[in-house]
Amino acid sequence: MQRFECLKKLAQVAGDALVVSSAGAVTLEWNALRPSDGNFRVRTLGLCSSIALGMAMGLPKRRVVALDGDGSLLMNLSSLPTIARMKPKNLLHIVFDNEVYEASGSKQTATGAGADLVGLARAAGIKNALWAESVEAFAQIAEKAMCGDTLTFIGVKVGTEREPVAPYPIDEVENKYRFIRYVEKTAHVEILKTNLPASYN
Amino acid sequence: MRRSFLICPMFDVNRIATDFERRSSLNSTEAAQTIVKALRGAGIDLVATLPDINLAELLRAVEESHEIIHVPVCREEEGMGICAGAYLVGKKCAAIMQNGGFFNSNNAIVSTLLQYQIPLLLLIYYAGDIGDRTFSTTGSLTEPVLQALGIRYYIMRETDDAPELIRRAQIMTEDSKRPVALLLTKELLGRRPALKAL
Repeated sequence: MQRFECLKKLAQVAGDALVVSSAGAVTLEWNALRPSDGNFRVRTLGLCSSIALGMAMGLPKRRVVALDGDGSLLMNLSSLPTIARMKPKNLLHIVFDNEVYEASGSKQTATGAGADLVGLARAAGIKNALWAESVEAFAQIAEKAMCGDTLTFIGVKVGTEREPVAPYPIDEVENKYRFIRYVEKTAHVEILKTNLPASYN
Repeated sequence: MRRSFLICPMFDVNRIATDFERRSSLNSTEAAQTIVKALRGAGIDLVATLPDINLAELLRAVEESHEIIHVPVCREEEGMGICAGAYLVGKKCAAIMQNGGFFNSNNAIVSTLLQYQIPLLLLIYYAGDIGDRTFSTTGSLTEPVLQALGIRYYIMRETDDAPELIRRAQIMTEDSKRPVALLLTKELLGRRPALKAL
């Protein structure tokens, strides 16, 4: 299965979901398919699911999607029981498992040696955790998750092909500001307040 | 040898410390409530935590606060991500942990909080402080690591100062868009008598 084909299906149902993506090619591919200020690229390997959890808890009426990888999730496995404990209904956690550290020279990860990420998610307490066995199955599960109100974890075994797409157009700080402004506009919340310096008071 | 040492209380420094503490009016529950009230006063509405025995009362008070979303994490670095994500959608966050947990969080602090210029109030229990019998290495390296990261920090020893210090620290983290650390000591938390010298 190809990650890019799954992402195409996700883009059809993502709507205005906030999408957090792990460091690596998945970010570029997703941004090519759904360019939006509601995309947030993660730089700390492993932190994708935690950042998405924070967003889901902070904005419980907005759909949040984490585009994670096997290397990333393996580095932050403790995120799974925390997500299960907080149980945000608006979070869809997708893991594209290509069994290698793709962005770091394609050395094998522990999933390539048999670790089962969906099994780990279930054991951590995420009941609705399942493998998508085909692109069509992935599309169905993703659509259901985007419309429903159940915390969902989808594992997808994918190859290591990369789609030739453009590089990410903005740096981290611009990503932050654009994302915040996008949330302010679309969720009608004030995040960046302009206060007078206290010395002016 | 050990037994003969213990039956001679005048040489037992643990016993002396206990008598000292007994004479003082320590109240960790009140201290915890003061700190949580201060967090609320500073606008904090989401707190990620991982326990230390000295934080037990504080975490209980966080849990009992209806105005704060409490996220108990399994590893402190997760908390950096959770707080960053919540900040990006409008929450004011704090992370409460031991200094060992602060060390656990360093990669996320550097490549998420500092790299993206995300504010966060770090409430770090100062294990290995003067008088402690454990974590001396952790204690001795806490301030140097904060300094190396360019994170401004303040050591809190007086419970009465907590509301104003927390309020000012929150202003500093928002204004600088960098994490700011408050080191929570046993004295602050009502678990050891305050000393004028500290």
